[in-house]
Amino acid sequence: MDLAVEMREITKVFKKVAANDKVNFNLKKGSIHGLLGENGAGKTTLMNCLYGLYQPESGKIFINGKNVRIDSPQKAMSLGVGMVHQHFMLVRPMTVVENIMLGLSSKRGPFLDTDRVERELLALSKRFNLNLEPKAKIWQLSVGEQQRVEILSALYRGAEILILDEPTAVLTPNEAQELFGILRMMRNDGKSVILISHKLEEILAIVDEVTVLRDGRLVGQAQVTAETTKRDLTSMMVGRDVLFNFKHETLKTGATKLMVNHLGARNDKGLPALKEVSFSISAGEILGFAGVDGNGQKELCEVLTGLRPTTSGEICLNGKELNRSSPKTFINEGIAHIPEDRHKTGLAMNMGIARNLILKNFSQSGFSSRGLLNFRAIKKNAERLMEEYAIKANGVHTKVKDLSGGNQQKVILARELSSKPEIIIANQPTRGLDIGATEYVRQKLLEESAKGAGVLLISADLEEILQLSDRIAVLYDGQIMGILGRNASVEEIGLLMAGVRTEEVEVC
Amino acid sequence: MLKENGIVKGFCHSVLPAVVTIALAFGVSALLLLFSSHSPIEAFSTLLTSAFGSPSRIAEVLIKTAPLMVMALGISVAFKSQVWNIGGDGQFTLGAIFAAFVALNLNLPGFIVLPVSFLAAFLGGALWGGLAGYLRAKFNANEVITTLMLNYVASYLLSWLIRYPMIDPDGHGFPQTSLLAQQYQLPIILSGTRLHVGILIALMIVLLGYLFWRSSLGFRIDLVGENEEAAKYCGINVSKTIILTMVISAGLCGVAGWGEVVGVQYRLLDNISSGYGNLAIVIALLGNLNPFGIAVSSFFFAALLVGGNTMQLMEGIPFSLITVIQGLVIVFVISRVVYTQWRDNVANRHFNRGAR
Ligand SMILES: Nc1ncnc2c1ncn2[C@@H]1O[C@H](COP(=O)(O)OP(=O)(O)OP(=O)(O)O)[C@@H](O)[C@H]1O
Ligand SMILES: [Mg+2]
Repeated sequence: MDLAVEMREITKVFKKVAANDKVNFNLKKGSIHGLLGENGAGKTTLMNCLYGLYQPESGKIFINGKNVRIDSPQKAMSLGVGMVHQHFMLVRPMTVVENIMLGLSSKRGPFLDTDRVERELLALSKRFNLNLEPKAKIWQLSVGEQQRVEILSALYRGAEILILDEPTAVLTPNEAQELFGILRMMRNDGKSVILISHKLEEILAIVDEVTVLRDGRLVGQAQVTAETTKRDLTSMMVGRDVLFNFKHETLKTGATKLMVNHLGARNDKGLPALKEVSFSISAGEILGFAGVDGNGQKELCEVLTGLRPTTSGEICLNGKELNRSSPKTFINEGIAHIPEDRHKTGLAMNMGIARNLILKNFSQSGFSSRGLLNFRAIKKNAERLMEEYAIKANGVHTKVKDLSGGNQQKVILARELSSKPEIIIANQPTRGLDIGATEYVRQKLLEESAKGAGVLLISADLEEILQLSDRIAVLYDGQIMGILGRNASVEEIGLLMAGVRTEEVEVC
Repeated sequence: MLKENGIVKGFCHSVLPAVVTIALAFGVSALLLLFSSHSPIEAFSTLLTSAFGSPSRIAEVLIKTAPLMVMALGISVAFKSQVWNIGGDGQFTLGAIFAAFVALNLNLPGFIVLPVSFLAAFLGGALWGGLAGYLRAKFNANEVITTLMLNYVASYLLSWLIRYPMIDPDGHGFPQTSLLAQQYQLPIILSGTRLHVGILIALMIVLLGYLFWRSSLGFRIDLVGENEEAAKYCGINVSKTIILTMVISAGLCGVAGWGEVVGVQYRLLDNISSGYGNLAIVIALLGNLNPFGIAVSSFFFAALLVGGNTMQLMEGIPFSLITVIQGLVIVFVISRVVYTQWRDNVANRHFNRGAR
């Protein structure tokens, strides 16, 4: 079979450390190719080289057998290479067509030929089952739909080779299945796809071949057949076996820690985002929140950390009322928060790791004395946490923006989980983490709850919810549809997630 | 920029941007001189002797260095927090007014009046800047506009004060206050010159500035400038921090005004800030908002000012050289700022949105 992409001996060095070290990568035409590796292995870097965002120090790239130099994304697109990043780059108040037309030249000279583009987009959307309405405004779309807009945009620009960097991290299982349907259709159409993912089930389900990176080096390329197992992939990635199943000890909860009654709040557009939300979390309990993204999860977390005002209801922690308290009070009362948007909220990207690890407690006695920061203690703390959470970086002062996605997430986790919290509000805590780190974080959440903390766990990954939670609440349109026991079935949860109320709803 | 590694290495790192920019400016002006068939060596050596040729000239350079240094340091505190305080002149003026008021009216020994007037000057500047900070924090009023407008208010306030309520009664109607008593003037540290103790105070303030960025308050201000949303998430009161930033920034500008009143003029008169405010902005940026970088940069600009003044009195030397060098430095500084912003923007577009 012909190769759509051949990358030969690609080396990319950042500050003397090789993120890619003589990596070879071959993509067959008309195939779906998985790119695997632990956090910081160099997957994104390799793909950024292919998409023209980085120039490798050495190595050659061939597209359809032709040696090319890709010095910008524009060049990549002209060669038929498209890339969908994990976060989208869409202009929210504009429509789908308008977003796709941005940066394209019109065939009608100075005038926009919106109608023609719209027709073409509609046809393209039909052909690949993207199910998009070109006139819809971006902000009205779900995350999954926005992702499809990015794919449509790449296809419209003539992409024959599509790179998807952790596309399913933000999707619900259903949305992920839809995405895979689209990818299969593209494969049948002769297009080639590169898929980066940490979710091995997905890789096994859809890809034809995998390439595995470890520490910037190629460790293997293999066909994926019906016989391939998760274990095969992990031992390639990590170089050893990883435990997949661990036991959740039986319920042994204590006194009520967090109590939320009839909570209401508005979203950024001023519309009601939380309606009459009531629940409680006991010491030692993990309360999972299932639900499609955008049904009030973000607002719930913000209300519970003082970042968003409530319009009604009350929040009590250990019997103390916290309504209208400042974020500082919530922090001081021991509420840790792993926010959904790590770049905008959770991190100061231009500061070093050490500083990001003390973002919330730099003025406390351990890290500053008489108003001056204690750099020795700050560095020690960073060294300890980097070791404990396996944060891969050149040093404690490496700027967070220079870390790989998974390692950025680990910085937040290390900071929040090491604060001896009373309550942990974890919004998508394992998003973007590799298997090893995911297991570690889940273990850590169980450990903290065993020590008596209450955990509020929000995740798009139902499996994660089922694995960790003692009880499972389902959020739909800002309301709790029901709170189920830990033995709830996926079907039951799925119905509630879709807004269908069932009979046996347990009231908390 | 605060360095967590050694002081010496940190110092070199922090003065480097300023030194490189200045060297570039000299290089380009040397080329320009060559093109206009002047000898660069001759011109630069004249400049050197004009600025440092005698003890009194060196003294003049240091006298000018002090206010520029303190003011630029003040400006840098705000800039670091992404608060664009361009009202240094107004805050300087208010500091001068407060200092003069105390020194003219408080009939106590010098060792009490001088510190009190120092604090008053800080307070005067801080009020002026704090007002802009408050408007920004509460009503999101653009501080570039408010601080600039407050400059005019300050300058008219000064004009009015020295013409009516504070005018020197024995001054034949000349618009200035009466002279400060000898004991309220800063001591001279190099006899035979005007060099007063202000430069030492300024250097101490620079050291404090270095410590400031290693303090938890400095960290807080840094974080708010870096990412307001993250700062909120970390429990920081952003409005309060912005006001505090302006208070510190403007207070330092006020202190520069104090030095001018009790160290140089010994009285209030029109236009007392002599446009140091704009220079201080350039110096703060040239020094890369770093205390040591600012110290070096302000010394350089003071030397240019003094050298320029002296050279105007000489013949046969293109004294517009000074203007050219100054202009080039400004152009390079602005290019650097624009370039870094552009670079960060590009990086943001591609990566901060989660490309990884
Ligand atoms: N702009 C940069 N500057 C410095 N170092 C970088 C930069 N980008 C990436 N790196 C480093 O290169 C290595 C590989 O990063 P990369 O983002 O490719 O990892 P990844 O495989 O995509 O990991 P993840 O699964 O966490 O997203 C990391 O150690 C990272 O710290
Ligand atoms: Mg990545």
